[in-house]
Amino acid sequence: MPKPKITGVVHTRDSAATLEAALASLAWVDELMVVDMQSSDDSVAIAQRHGAVVHQVEIAPRIDGVRNRFTAQASGDWVLVLDSDEYLSGDAPDLVQSLIADKGGSYDAFALPRYNYLGDQVMVGGGRHPDYQIRLFKKGMVLWPDAHHTLPLVTSGPGHLWEVPPSRGPHIHHRNYRDLRQLITRQLDYALTDLYPSDPASFDFAAYLARAHQQMALRSDPETDGDLSQAMALVMAWDAVMRGLIHWDSLEPRPPLNMLDGFPRAAAQMPRWEIRLRRYLGRHLALKHLLRAVRARLRALLPKRG
Amino acid sequence: MSPKLLTVIIPSLGMLPMLEQCLDALGRSLEAAGVREQSTVAVVDNASHPPLPPKRIAAAGAELLRLDGHHCFARANNLAARRWPAKHYLMQNNDVLVQPETIGEMLGLLGRMPQVGICGARMVFPDGSLQHAGVVFGPGKKGPYHLLRTKPSHLMPRIDREFQAVTGGCMLIRGELWQELGGLDEDYPFGLEDIDFCLRARQSGQRIFCCQGSESLHFEAMTPGRAKLDSPSRALFMSRWQGRYTIDG
Repeated sequence: MPKPKITGVVHTRDSAATLEAALASLAWVDELMVVDMQSSDDSVAIAQRHGAVVHQVEIAPRIDGVRNRFTAQASGDWVLVLDSDEYLSGDAPDLVQSLIADKGGSYDAFALPRYNYLGDQVMVGGGRHPDYQIRLFKKGMVLWPDAHHTLPLVTSGPGHLWEVPPSRGPHIHHRNYRDLRQLITRQLDYALTDLYPSDPASFDFAAYLARAHQQMALRSDPETDGDLSQAMALVMAWDAVMRGLIHWDSLEPRPPLNMLDGFPRAAAQMPRWEIRLRRYLGRHLALKHLLRAVRARLRALLPKRG
Repeated sequence: MSPKLLTVIIPSLGMLPMLEQCLDALGRSLEAAGVREQSTVAVVDNASHPPLPPKRIAAAGAELLRLDGHHCFARANNLAARRWPAKHYLMQNNDVLVQPETIGEMLGLLGRMPQVGICGARMVFPDGSLQHAGVVFGPGKKGPYHLLRTKPSHLMPRIDREFQAVTGGCMLIRGELWQELGGLDEDYPFGLEDIDFCLRARQSGQRIFCCQGSESLHFEAMTPGRAKLDSPSRALFMSRWQGRYTIDG
């Protein structure tokens, strides 16, 4: 049986710092496509050096709709999508080909496990691994909704999606943050540039403190990730408090902050049973992740297919 | 770009603290031999979970080849040799601490003796007993074994000597020979692919020596899960080679 043709797609916007590693790890694909959002650095030159077909697009607030347009233009039977700060391992060609050969007849899309790096360390505790990403799929079988942080849809239904066990699959390696300083800088940038509700009556500082409490409880996993996990939990808790203060500062008139009153109320808003449940399920904060985790566990109880 | 003089290949499944000691000792040995700049040290991360930290490996002066699937020892070495072609390959285990003189002695031997294609290294356990000073072959099912293994080191003379095989724990191979034989045989799960390679090298007319000038340290078989792979490897080796090697007695 002939090998199916694979198209690699990478989106860039001033991505020169990380693009080299991403494209070098895709040197084996049959077609390499780089979709660039008006980079002013060397991204395009790097892409051309790696033999990629470069498509220029206008700067858009979200990458998702753009992804659909260009994955549809792929000439390959399968599409492999990487972000510009991600890369694949040295044995990815073998692993991807054997994955397609073994399971491609039964499934239309694969969710690949992802390693997320903070500095030099991969964070695996607190649900940070396998951190499945739907990135390898038959052409036309996956669509990204045009919204922030939404999961892509497998057009033939979730039954045709396989979450590749970490023990046998290629991983996506994601250099999230260069170091803790970069994490702090980015979080502060997001917090300062985010939009906050303008109605003073709806402001509740305790909700932000509850989120800080939640972040501390869920993200800290020192037995798996050591001190760095505690540092990350502290940054994310600090981020929640900063957001509360930035929100409060933007209101006119400023409502009472009620800081001292907020702490006990925040603890009550995140009961211990919920923390335990979420830690058990190995997922973080969003309900959609919880539902996926429950679904995956139920599916694991069913007879295996393919 | 012309290939470098030497690529050192070190597969590792986790074991970062040991690996860093290994790289430190190797760096000193490459410096002492005056070949640091002409060498690539390649660490093959053979599906460690979590992956080996790239910056720490780079800080130790090594390149990193990350593999997400766990591959046999032969495949891990072959992939690295393909990525960093060189005039010589040094296969080294991550639990070997070479002496400062070791690399220079091994390269020197191959330089002096053009008919020698492979050079091994004398190694001892932490208690000073011999781990490796050459591989010999016994009759029947005994097959290959390390000469004087666990015996006091002084029982083995410090004279470079020819063998039918040497261990891949620290084995220097000419690049041309590696290419000619197509690298290690990937049918072996773990173990004896090095001896198989030596026997194939002898069949192609190459001689094999073990350097006895310095004693490197080898903790041996530190990789978790390796023991269970020894038996199938041995069975494969014996099915292929029994009766085709010379009994050393």
